[in-house]
Amino acid sequence: MSPIADLRPAGIQACGCLTPLGDAVSTLSALLDGARALRPVPVLGSGGGDAVPLALMDSQEMGESLPPRWLPALRRLLAGVPGERWGSPRFPVVVTSSNFGVGSLYAYLGSRDPAHLRHGAPFACVEMLQREFGWGEHVHTFSHACVSAHVGLLHASRLLQSGLAERVLVFTFDFVSPFVAGGFHSLKILNSGMPAPYEARAEGSIGLGDGAAFAVLTRDPAPLRIEAQALHNEMRHFTGNQPDGSGFSVCAEAIAAAGGGRRLWVKGHGTGTLEAGRLEAEAFARALPDAPLVSWKGSLGHTLGSCGLVELALAIEALGADRSPGTVGSRGPCFTGTVALAPFPTRAYEGVVIASNAFGGAHAALLLCHA
Amino acid sequence: MPDPLIARLKNLIVETLRLDDIRPEDIPDDEPLFGSTRFGLDSVDALELVVRLEKEFGIRISSSETSREALSSVARLAAFIRESGHPA
Repeated sequence: MSPIADLRPAGIQACGCLTPLGDAVSTLSALLDGARALRPVPVLGSGGGDAVPLALMDSQEMGESLPPRWLPALRRLLAGVPGERWGSPRFPVVVTSSNFGVGSLYAYLGSRDPAHLRHGAPFACVEMLQREFGWGEHVHTFSHACVSAHVGLLHASRLLQSGLAERVLVFTFDFVSPFVAGGFHSLKILNSGMPAPYEARAEGSIGLGDGAAFAVLTRDPAPLRIEAQALHNEMRHFTGNQPDGSGFSVCAEAIAAAGGGRRLWVKGHGTGTLEAGRLEAEAFARALPDAPLVSWKGSLGHTLGSCGLVELALAIEALGADRSPGTVGSRGPCFTGTVALAPFPTRAYEGVVIASNAFGGAHAALLLCHA
Repeated sequence: MPDPLIARLKNLIVETLRLDDIRPEDIPDDEPLFGSTRFGLDSVDALELVVRLEKEFGIRISSSETSREALSSVARLAAFIRESGHPA
């Protein structure tokens, strides 16, 4: 299968993120220094359990407080969004998350406090954000596991290119909760080991991290733009991928073709799992054999549905600083020789691919270039 | 004489995964349980089974790689439980 990437360029007017290492500038700086936000934390928070690698904002605790612990962080992040009549017909908001406030539903089971239900389900959560940030009714909500942010970015680009919007605010957030950490722990992919993305070792492990980000996409000329986006779903299995890596290759080859032979680097998904990490690294090594491949989840953890936009914001900062962090947490040997372990200058490249993958066999990639 | 732990595991697999049309004695000792078309079991079934095994035998399965290896067959699972120190 050889799909064609969606070629609807969208300018980036503004973009930012928030991680446990701070805003995009601070996070990039810390990643360049090789800092790790992940810490061993009991998988069920105050409920105890095995210590697993989690990167948590602020209090470094993940209990379900009221109001939810993610709300102050989102206020900080959204204070940096350019003013606009967000949520009006020509300036819609696209909200993406894989979790929304799902952890509060779990908290409700324990406490029976109905206040937890006000932001537990996705649409209740989005309505809370609408009220909090004064958005109008034109808020579009997407959730597709860990490619959620990519789906939102592609939807926003289509709104712009079809003339339905002037600018679109794409907003994403995922915060770790005992419910989510416990789920990954049950699957045995979140265990006591720190993640080492793309490293060929005996046991894999991921980390989970809090993350939030926004991008304002515009039809107007902008210094940076998303040139192409590719989405693909294998439709094979709930948690597994085609063993031959063909699902990874579909997106990698589509976005490589959109690159048209330009020199690119790749910010890969690279969570720290062994099989998916190998398949991803091999797919990009085939599609873009000269492109260095990095993952930052060995420091930040996997920010789940938000990772595509969180890491897009960091890639934009990396382009501005002319320096990309390497694959923090990995020492090698790696699955392919394309994996970059150390930071490198970005000016030798004409664009960067941001790639993410998700449960359900979903794959996504976008191409970010200077206009 | 049949290994009592293997017999116990086969019963536990049928019960946990609600394999209504499979008898415990139909499960071979040395064939893969997961990923084969014969039993139609997938990773969600593996998750259910691991949770049950950890409770039933007081063992810890530390990673997905260990889980995959331990669940490669009933005989391997029995060996893993014994290697984990369970007196079965």
